[in-house]
Amino acid sequence: MAYDPKTGKGLGRFYDADHRAFKFREWKGLKDTLYDYGRWMYLYCFMAAKLGPYAPQMVKGMLRYRWLVPYLTAANMVDRHTIGQRGKELQYSHKQFFSVLHHSVIKVKEIMQRDANLNGNSKKAEALRNNTVMFDEMTPSLIMMGFPTLDWIDIAMMSVGMPSEVDQNSCVYYIDAIEHFGLAPDVCPEPATECGVAVTDDYPRVGKCYVTSSMPCDGAVQQTALMTRYLKGVDIFQITPPQRINEPEVQEYAVKNLKKAIKFIEDEMGVKWDWDAFWKNAEMYNQMAECMIEKWDVNATDYPQVCGAALALQREFEFMGAACMDKYMLKTDLEVTKMMHKGYEHDSKLGVNKPKYRCIVWACPAHYYTNFANWADLCWGVRCVNDMEAMLSYLPITIGDKEQALKDLARCYERMMMRSHTNGGYVNLLDELWKMCDRFNVNIVIMYDHVSCRNVGGLHGLFEDEARKRGIHLIWVPHDVMDPRTVSRREMRDAFNKYMINVFREEPLDPTLLDYEDNLSW
Amino acid sequence: MKDLKYLKYFEDLLEDADNALVRQAEAEGDIAVGYTCFHAPEVLLNLPGCFSVRLRAPHTTSMEMATYYMANNSCEYARAILERALEGNYSFLHAIAGVDVCEANNRCMENIDIMQAHGKDKDKFFLSYLDIPYSDDEDCVEHLKEQLTRKVLKPLGERYGIDSSDDSIRKAVEDFNKVCRVITQLGEFRKLPNPPITGYEFHVLTLATYACPKRLVLDKLQETLEEVKRRVPDTDKKYRARVMVIGSEIDDPGLIKLIEDTGALVVADRFCFGSIPGRQEIPLTDGEDALTQVIRFNLKSTQCPRQCAQHRVQNRWDTAARLMKEYSADGAIYEQMKFCTYWSYERAMAGYIMPREYGMHVLSIDRPYIAGQSGQLRTRVQAFIESLEIKKINEGKGEAK
Repeated sequence: MAYDPKTGKGLGRFYDADHRAFKFREWKGLKDTLYDYGRWMYLYCFMAAKLGPYAPQMVKGMLRYRWLVPYLTAANMVDRHTIGQRGKELQYSHKQFFSVLHHSVIKVKEIMQRDANLNGNSKKAEALRNNTVMFDEMTPSLIMMGFPTLDWIDIAMMSVGMPSEVDQNSCVYYIDAIEHFGLAPDVCPEPATECGVAVTDDYPRVGKCYVTSSMPCDGAVQQTALMTRYLKGVDIFQITPPQRINEPEVQEYAVKNLKKAIKFIEDEMGVKWDWDAFWKNAEMYNQMAECMIEKWDVNATDYPQVCGAALALQREFEFMGAACMDKYMLKTDLEVTKMMHKGYEHDSKLGVNKPKYRCIVWACPAHYYTNFANWADLCWGVRCVNDMEAMLSYLPITIGDKEQALKDLARCYERMMMRSHTNGGYVNLLDELWKMCDRFNVNIVIMYDHVSCRNVGGLHGLFEDEARKRGIHLIWVPHDVMDPRTVSRREMRDAFNKYMINVFREEPLDPTLLDYEDNLSW
Repeated sequence: MKDLKYLKYFEDLLEDADNALVRQAEAEGDIAVGYTCFHAPEVLLNLPGCFSVRLRAPHTTSMEMATYYMANNSCEYARAILERALEGNYSFLHAIAGVDVCEANNRCMENIDIMQAHGKDKDKFFLSYLDIPYSDDEDCVEHLKEQLTRKVLKPLGERYGIDSSDDSIRKAVEDFNKVCRVITQLGEFRKLPNPPITGYEFHVLTLATYACPKRLVLDKLQETLEEVKRRVPDTDKKYRARVMVIGSEIDDPGLIKLIEDTGALVVADRFCFGSIPGRQEIPLTDGEDALTQVIRFNLKSTQCPRQCAQHRVQNRWDTAARLMKEYSADGAIYEQMKFCTYWSYERAMAGYIMPREYGMHVLSIDRPYIAGQSGQLRTRVQAFIESLEIKKINEGKGEAK
């Protein structure tokens, strides 16, 4: 417990309305503080080691790209998610987040190595570009499993997705830019931000061709149309899995579409699909999916272990960003899974660390407030045991059977982040929630009410009606994904506070976290 | 100009989705299939024994119930349809050919489905969710063919005995083409410098073909065509500028009236519920089954911004520019139903690309579902028409010099 009732000191004192960073670091006891600080140091040393050799490009990049600057504050992102944590929980979070940042730093390095905007006429950079496929954020690069000699960079994930989760204000400039361009301000800010990066010409030029998709929502579809304009001269392929993903009949089309994507990359890059490499990478994907399921299984018990954003963000980046091909992520995954089992045995044996309340998080979350679930746990004792964002493709890819493997790969695309729930009809979004409530034994759902999302919003009333019938507490938390000016973090907390106070008649575990100002913080 | 003989008749038919001709056709034993989107090939819903009704919600005011179920940021068209369904206005339908094309439309249909807003205890009723592909290649054609066969044609046959054989589809296309031919001929008049038909009148006629059983409007349409052929336009041009309207659903002729009341003449209707695309004859050959041809035609002719493969995006810009030229339009109004994501993007891009790359004068607006009385909209259109006039005057001066 980080709150001291005697002194009245709680975690809220670390936030300061006038500063971006925490006022000071949390004292977690000698052992945990040393561990925490050690990880902090290690992250910056790692960044320095990997990006230091590209210092000229980094400086140029920061002057050229607004989205690059937030990466410097990556450690603060980890701090936000580890505040108030101790012991094994702290270690889970650090390991999970470091694996995400490890991948991101490597990708930033790759951008620095080959970006045409930063490397002038460098032949070396050009050669690297000619061997690289660019991807869109909402398009998992799993297809690269069969192209071991090629590199790939998710340009939108690196310039929009990740920075938006590191610094809450990182997208504001781009949102304004695209609205100035003429886009209605009521659309989802995520694809809007991606378009904003395009109209301000802030995408790095790092590859020879571009692979995008039709997923997972109307905004993402339209963002593709704008990107086709922006990337004039670059050939583009749009992977378009079917919408009604639950129907077996549509899978044939999905596989045909995927084969076309493979052909496109083969033709563009002059290489052939390599089945041996694919099997190896598919094996890795299967192992990572297995780790995910084990985490779910443990979290379904009375003693959940890897919770909140540590669970969701890691899976999101492992699948969407790294396409389950990052060896370091797999290593971390196996390590955390092992620690988690040990932690579960300990807790269940002693009957400790049972959460006061259990909840799951549903619908698209606020990128600018990824630690909201951590806050709910610290302030109200409501622990998030699973998150819709983590419930993406987890079924294994069949090894050895080529046609079946392609069907499985197509299924991975159909069941990627968001799309697994927003496509395929209401059963995947509405009915699935009640199944998950049963499976994870929860009666509270943090229902993210993304104010610009027509997809989840379209079932708003049915969610309400059905939750009431089932006695489930849906706590609607409004947000605007990338734009904290529409709904601030403080307003998000306020919505949750009101429910806990008025409906549950609860007292906060840490009253200093009830209301504080953090509009300026990263 | 003298009023069209049947204009009032057609206007009256647009007052209610369950209009007199719909009731007549049902009384004669035909079944009514509702649909909302171009992506559900209309001609296949007009097989012998059934007819299509493109769903509208005329005179919508409050959308409170739909707003509760779909949230206030959902497309107003989708919400208006749900509201009207919850009020029971679509209980005359025997089936709905829904499409999973945009989020709002899809969720609207799901709400109707779950709450049985189409009417309870209708044993044979079915509602489909067609998976519409994002492009127009042959894989997409095959995919849509499977979807339509399984989700629409098969249940139509099994539940209502509707024949969907190749002969039956060819007959439907033949009948459909008759209506298209009349509308196309009427539309051609709009290319004239002083057309004998206004944009409002044309839109009312076109809308009637979407909202009524086609066989029951054909004779009066043909009569109207003959009337327009003979009609003498006013000697003085009444309009100040010719405009093309491009965008999302306009099923309320009041909006076209509003635009024309400001002094414009709407000469081309490149929007959902308009005639381009939608009222072009479907050419069929003997070498291939009719179903495949119909689907291919539909996928190739759609102008929906949902299709965002590079060549489809380009096709939309080029089509808009071509239509501008064909109809001698002075400018284009890109309109978007409020909260329509697809058209939000398309409109923003058009506002930038069309003037710069095609030299088109563009007004970009978003609008509520029922927009005929919008003073704000009227002011914006007026300003645009004035700007077109000034440009024409300036161009004239330039030429004179």
